[in-house]
Amino acid sequence: MTSDRRVRVPRSPSPSEVGFALGEETQDPGTEAGSGLSRRSFIVGAAATLGTGAVLAACGGDSDETEAGGAAEGGGDLGEVTFGSNYSDEKPKEALAAAVATTGLDVAINTVDHNTYQENFNTYVQQPDDIMAWFAGYRMRAFASRGVVGDISDVWSDQLSGMSEGFKSASTGLDGSQYFVPFYFYAWGIHYRKSLFEENGYEIPTTWDDFKALCDTMQADGLVPLCAANDGGWPQMGMFDMINLRVNGYDYHVSLMGGNEDWTSPEVKEVFAKWNEILPYYQPDANGRTWQDAANALGDKSAGMYLLGNFVTSNFDGDTQQDIIDDIDFFLFPEINSEHGQDAIEAPIDGFMMAASPANEAGAKALLGGMGQPAAADAYIGVDPSVVAAVSGADTGSYNALQNKAAELVGGSKFIAQFLDRDTDPDFAANVVGKAIADFLADPGSIDSVLATVEEQKSTYTFE
Amino acid sequence: MKPPRLTPARVLLQGFLITVAVAWLLPVATAVYSSFRYYEADTQVNGVFSLPTALTLDNYRDAWAVGEMSKTFGNTAFIVLPALFFTLLLASVVAYACTRYSWRFNIAFLILFTAGNLMPQQVLFQPLFQMLKRTPWPDLLSDTDTGSLLGTKIAVILIHVAFQIGFCTFVLANYMKTIPTELSEAAAIDGASVPRQFFSVILPLTRPALAALGTLEFTWLYNDFFWGAVLLNQGNERPITSSIAVLNGQYATDFNLIAAASIVIALPTLIVYLALQRHFIAGLTLGSTKG
Repeated sequence: MTSDRRVRVPRSPSPSEVGFALGEETQDPGTEAGSGLSRRSFIVGAAATLGTGAVLAACGGDSDETEAGGAAEGGGDLGEVTFGSNYSDEKPKEALAAAVATTGLDVAINTVDHNTYQENFNTYVQQPDDIMAWFAGYRMRAFASRGVVGDISDVWSDQLSGMSEGFKSASTGLDGSQYFVPFYFYAWGIHYRKSLFEENGYEIPTTWDDFKALCDTMQADGLVPLCAANDGGWPQMGMFDMINLRVNGYDYHVSLMGGNEDWTSPEVKEVFAKWNEILPYYQPDANGRTWQDAANALGDKSAGMYLLGNFVTSNFDGDTQQDIIDDIDFFLFPEINSEHGQDAIEAPIDGFMMAASPANEAGAKALLGGMGQPAAADAYIGVDPSVVAAVSGADTGSYNALQNKAAELVGGSKFIAQFLDRDTDPDFAANVVGKAIADFLADPGSIDSVLATVEEQKSTYTFE
Repeated sequence: MKPPRLTPARVLLQGFLITVAVAWLLPVATAVYSSFRYYEADTQVNGVFSLPTALTLDNYRDAWAVGEMSKTFGNTAFIVLPALFFTLLLASVVAYACTRYSWRFNIAFLILFTAGNLMPQQVLFQPLFQMLKRTPWPDLLSDTDTGSLLGTKIAVILIHVAFQIGFCTFVLANYMKTIPTELSEAAAIDGASVPRQFFSVILPLTRPALAALGTLEFTWLYNDFFWGAVLLNQGNERPITSSIAVLNGQYATDFNLIAAASIVIALPTLIVYLALQRHFIAGLTLGSTKG
């Protein structure tokens, strides 16, 4: 049975849905299993082994809400802050409570199961807690521009010095103010096998021409240069995003995703023209392949490179395929237009927002600032080591190589995109753009009519 | 007694009935069976229909703890019992007034109430949501401190009562029509006031209908997930049906754990059904014929 590995909805996974497959040296001492644990076995293990005790401790007897950090004295004068959380699985729930405790504030955590939380967010935000767990990018901007979440620019200027420029832009609404505090993320990049590159003397390509030359070499060596999957309609959105970010830059990308650009423009056509240049290097018939199936080609070294999120490693079994997990590394998508270089990366971010008019504004801002500190990230990672913290200065001692690389590349990026289906209206992404990409892959020659259809259907969606 | 003759038609019929019965029972039996097995070590590897490597009660223990069922059961009781009481009380009052007395609008009034049955509840979600949000409610009377009815269990009770009154009125009205008018007349002649006639004469006679409705309504209210999920935005306020949602893991789902939780959650309705089976079946046909 592999169904548990699939993401249930045809949507790219949230950072909270997937974790980094952990190396042996970073396994969590609290669980019983032997070698490296994927998040999958992690959560189930947690439910099975420490279920009872942890939960009973977490709900705190008669008290209706989880009290965290009540013991610390520092924040007592700010009063109680309420915190809406979708960290409903055992590990994340415990980890979040640990992170909240580092702020020293009196916080009541309202945990709602993640699925209901996400589906009900529209109504929940009308009677929200002081701060709420949510996602960066368009999903945050949509609520920010409707005025239902609070401006926290002062938290950024006063307390969040540890966040890179890229994280700040990903937390910024259309009006230029900040509405979001990033907590953790995973990155999209071109994944490859270190050993394969070493054996064949391949160099990491940094420009488009180098990239295509490497693909040619791989083909000559009998490899499929690029793993390609598009089952569910979302995996190839990553390729569109990356080429668009490299060709037209981050600002154009945001504007295009916001519904403000013409999909039949020369800019967009250029993206597909560039894409067409590398289609010969693809695994054939990408549309029907699951990302896991494509990852297997990376696993058996029949393919060379794979543009996907870091969760690609979770396709491999922590017990029997640890060597593969440890052998996977990734690099930035190559430069196409020197004006933009390699300044942008895709990294879906989970984090927190503040209610438009929180009951305890001072407390909410203190809590948001506190959650953006290395100490909070460290406490979280101490319980759930399968994530990468957004804040620089977090203790990276428990990271494996891939986590370190993700922290380094994303931390050094000027712009962080959130992935197509979370950077625009989700329905527009799935029903219009996703379909257009599938049509393009099936018949690259039809791109003009495909884009005309996108532009036509775009008018039926309202963008924020 | 001679066994019935084996004709082809009979074989066909029996074969069909057995197939349907098995198809009906198989999912339930599988759920019960799965709930006693380990998931990662057993079911996931060997498949749902394999022999177990070991049987365990761990799933039940974990489901109870992780689903926080002691709390959610309490929430459900807090919602369902008052809702049930007020629904039956108010519906019987309306049914009484509309069927035992002849006044200008009694039929129109009855139609208004019973027509509510036809309305899909979800349609009214937005207006109700906004109404509740704008209705001030003292924090003293709720444990959510929101200042409005929205987010309180009281709101869910009110909505349940409002939606269920329609069906209950319909059923009780049909039942009360079968009670001879002479009884009320005799009571009136003996000097019983209208409330007295209602509480001492009509209501006791309506008891079979009330019992049947009570069991039906209990299962309906108990099984509600929608209103509990959309109106109660504090995880701690949610009813028992939300416990399954909590067990649905973000990345991995332990289906045996969910099977165990489902069985625990189904138990109260099963118990109510078994204890009041007679009324339950009567309830299904109540209102289908006019006396």
